[in-house]
Amino acid sequence: MATVAMMARPQRWDAPLSPDMTDDDVADLLRRNPIAKIKSDKFPEHTPLEGILRNDTRIVAHRAGDIVVRSGDYGNSAFIVLEGRLRVVIAPDLPADLLGRQDVAKKGFFEALAQLWTNRRVPEVRDVRRYDRTGVREGRDKAQSVVFLQDVPVVLEKHQTAVLAEGALFGELAALGRIPRTATVFAETDAKLLEIRWQGLREIRKYDEGFRRAIDERYRENALKVALRETPEFGHLDEDALQEVANSVLFETHGSFDWYITYQKMRGAGKQGAAHEPVIAREGDYPDGVLMVRAGFARVSIKMGNGDRTVAYLGAGKHFGMSELFDSWRSQGTEPLQASLTALGYVDLLRVPAPILEKYVFPTLTERPRSPVEIARNRTLSDDALLEWAVDGRFINGTKTMLIDLERCVRCDDCVRACSSTHGGNPRFIRHGRTFDHWMVANACMHCADPVCMIGCPTGAIHRTEQGGMVVINDATCIGCGTCANSCPYDNIRLVEIRDLDGNLLLDRDTQRPIQKATKCDLCATNPGGPACVRACPHDALRRVDFDTEEVFRGASS
Amino acid sequence: MKGFSAQNLILWVVLATLVALLALQVQRSEASLGQPTAITGYLLIAIILALALFNMRKRLSMVPLGRASTWLLFHGMAGVLAIAVYWLHTGTLWPLGLYEQAIAVLFYLVSVTGIVGYVMQRIYPARLTHTGLEVIYERIPAELARLRTRAEEIVVACTNETTSDTLARHYFESFAWYFRRPRFTVSYLFGGNRGMHWVRHQRITVGRYLNDTERGFLDELTELSYTKTRLDMHYAMQSAMKAWLLLHVPLSAALVLLSLWHMILVHIYAL
Repeated sequence: MATVAMMARPQRWDAPLSPDMTDDDVADLLRRNPIAKIKSDKFPEHTPLEGILRNDTRIVAHRAGDIVVRSGDYGNSAFIVLEGRLRVVIAPDLPADLLGRQDVAKKGFFEALAQLWTNRRVPEVRDVRRYDRTGVREGRDKAQSVVFLQDVPVVLEKHQTAVLAEGALFGELAALGRIPRTATVFAETDAKLLEIRWQGLREIRKYDEGFRRAIDERYRENALKVALRETPEFGHLDEDALQEVANSVLFETHGSFDWYITYQKMRGAGKQGAAHEPVIAREGDYPDGVLMVRAGFARVSIKMGNGDRTVAYLGAGKHFGMSELFDSWRSQGTEPLQASLTALGYVDLLRVPAPILEKYVFPTLTERPRSPVEIARNRTLSDDALLEWAVDGRFINGTKTMLIDLERCVRCDDCVRACSSTHGGNPRFIRHGRTFDHWMVANACMHCADPVCMIGCPTGAIHRTEQGGMVVINDATCIGCGTCANSCPYDNIRLVEIRDLDGNLLLDRDTQRPIQKATKCDLCATNPGGPACVRACPHDALRRVDFDTEEVFRGASS
Repeated sequence: MKGFSAQNLILWVVLATLVALLALQVQRSEASLGQPTAITGYLLIAIILALALFNMRKRLSMVPLGRASTWLLFHGMAGVLAIAVYWLHTGTLWPLGLYEQAIAVLFYLVSVTGIVGYVMQRIYPARLTHTGLEVIYERIPAELARLRTRAEEIVVACTNETTSDTLARHYFESFAWYFRRPRFTVSYLFGGNRGMHWVRHQRITVGRYLNDTERGFLDELTELSYTKTRLDMHYAMQSAMKAWLLLHVPLSAALVLLSLWHMILVHIYAL
C-alpha cells in the first residue's frame, strides 16, 4: 500500500536572502529613508513590508575601494546606501583591469604557433603569480568576495564621478529590467548598504505607489526614450512626441526572473510548451496596445489540434499585436489577436497604448505590418519543427550556438582537438548535446543574449567583452565559487582543477581542497582567426549560429 | 549524402582539363623524343608533398591556416591528380623494377585507403544519424556495460517474480553472447542490419514458451537489445572512420620516404 508523508507547503520566504537579518535590523531600516517613506499599510497581510525587509534584503558592509557594481554586469539586486559614501563613475568608465576583467588581446601568428611547444604535458596549468595582483578581497565565503580599487584618490582624479550619499538607491533598473548595469559604483569610504533582491524590489514597487512612480520616472528619464528612439516605429519622432510616447508607456514583467533554476527540472518533467508558460496575451482577445520586448524572450503560438504551435519567438526590440491594431485602426473596428504570447522564462515588456500608435505610427506606415501567423500559414509543421524545438530548449538564447550537422559530422573530434590545443590542453566544450533531426546543439557556451551565468558572479570575472560581446571569464579574478556553472541552464560551464607551472595540483592552504577555476568556450578570443573548432572541421559540419536569424531554421525538414 | 556544389563542380572540371592538357603534353614530348618523365616525376613528388601537408595542418589548428574543409577539398582533388600524374609518369599500371613495384604498392594502397575513407565519410554520418542515437566513441564500452547490467537485472527480476527460468536460460544461451561485446560489425559496415534481424529471431524463438508476465520482461529485454544494435552500428562505423586513417597516414609517410629516395636515385644514376 502506498504511504504518504506530511510536510509544510514550501513558502515564498523559506529561503531568506540572509539568515543574519534580525528584528532590530528591520526596525532600524523602517526608520531610515527612503524605506521610512514607504507606506507599509498598503502592503497585504501575506506580504508585509517587514517581511520583505526581513527576507528579501540583507545588510552588506564594504570597505573603501570596494567595487559594488560594475558597468556591463548583470545583477538581480538593487542597493540603498545606509552609511558611508559611494561614487558612481560617470566618464570615462574604469579600465578593464581595474574592474577585474580580462583585457582580451589577440595573439600574433607566431605567438599562437608557439602553443605547439609551450602547451604543457598536463592541462590547466597556470602561472599563479598572476593571482597576486588581482585586487580581489575575499569575503566571509567565496560568494562575498569583491574586487577593490587599490588607489581610490587616483581614480577620483582621473574619472568624473558623482556622490551617492546615505539614502541613495541604485541598481534598480538593471535588477528589474534584466539589463546590464549602466555604470560602475564603488565605495569611497567604508560603507554599509542594504541589498534588496529583485523579488522584494518587485513587491515594494507593486504595493507602494510612490516607490513605483519614482522607479518608473527614473526609467522614463534615463533609458526609455533612448530605447524608443532606437526602434523603427518611434525613431522618426521629434522630442515632444517621443516624450508623449514615453509618458504613456506601461511597464510589465512576466515569468520568473530566475527561470534558469527551475528550467531543467521542468524540462526533465516534460513540462514544456506554451501551455506551461505564463500567458501575456491570449489568442482571440482584443489588444489595447502593442507589446514591445525590452528584455528576455516570449513565444508566439496559435492553437493547433490539442496543442499549441509555435510560429515565432520575440527577443529584445520585437513587438506583438501590431498587425491586429493596424487592421482595427484601418477598418475602424476591433480585430482580435491572431496568436497568444507567453513568457519564455522571463520577459520584460513595454505596452504602448493603441491611441499613441494611431497618432504617431500607423499614419507613417507605407505597408501593413505582417503578423508571424500570416507567415506561418505558408509553412508546414515540418518547416517549423526545428524552431519549436529550439524555443522549447531555450536555444534561442544563444548568439553563438555550436550547431553540428550530424549528416556531415564524421565524429573525428578534430574540433575538440583544435579547441584543446588552443586552450592549454583541455577543450572548452563537449561534442555532445541535445539533438533534433540531424542537428546537434553541442555543450559549448552559446554566448547568450540573456546571460544568466553572469548573475551573481561575486567578482565580475564572467563578463561580456566590449568588442564582440562575447561572454568570457577572467581567470585571474575567478574564485571558483561555481555560481556561473550552477546558473548556466545548458551545463556549458565547467570547473577545472588547476596546476602550477611545474604541473603540481594547487590546493587551498586552509581546506586542502583543489583550487578550481570556471572554464568555458571563449570563441578563441585571444587566438587569431576566430573559433578554432569551426576552422578545424574538414566537413563544414560545425557552425556557430545565432538562432535569431532565419537562416538557422532553413532546411530543417531536409 | 550532401549535394555537390556548383563551385566544386567547376573546380573538378578545371582539374580534368589540367589532366587532359598534361596528358597531351606528355604525348607530344614523347613523340619529339623528350623526357616527360622528369617533368611528371617532379610534379608527382610536389603533389605528394602537398597532400602530406593536410596532416600537418590538423596539428596546427591554433593558427589561421584557412578552413580544414577547403584543405580537404584540395586534398581530394590533389589525390585524384596524383593518380593521373602517376600513370602518366610510369606509363603503366604495374612497373617492372622491384623498388618501383614497392612504390606502386604503397601508392595504390594510399590511393585506395583515401578513396575508401572519403566514401565512408560521405555515407556513414547520415547512417549514424538515422539510428536515432548519438554517442561519443570512447563512451561506447561504458554504454555497452550499462546495457548488459540492465539486461541481467531484467532477467533476474523475471526469474524472481515468475519463478520460471525460461527467459534466464535463453538469455545465457543467446542474449548474453550478444550483450558481451559489439556484434555484426561487417553487416553494419556494408549497410546491413543483421543485429535487428537476430534480435527479432531470438524474441520469436523464446516468446512461445513465456506467459504474459514473462513477455513483459522479454519486451524490455528486446528494447534494450535494439538499443544495443544501434550502439553496435555506431561502434562499427565510427571505428571504421577512425581506422582508415591509421592505414592512410602511415602508408602515406612511407610513400613520401620511398618517393624521395627514388628521386635521389634517379638524379644520381639516370639524369
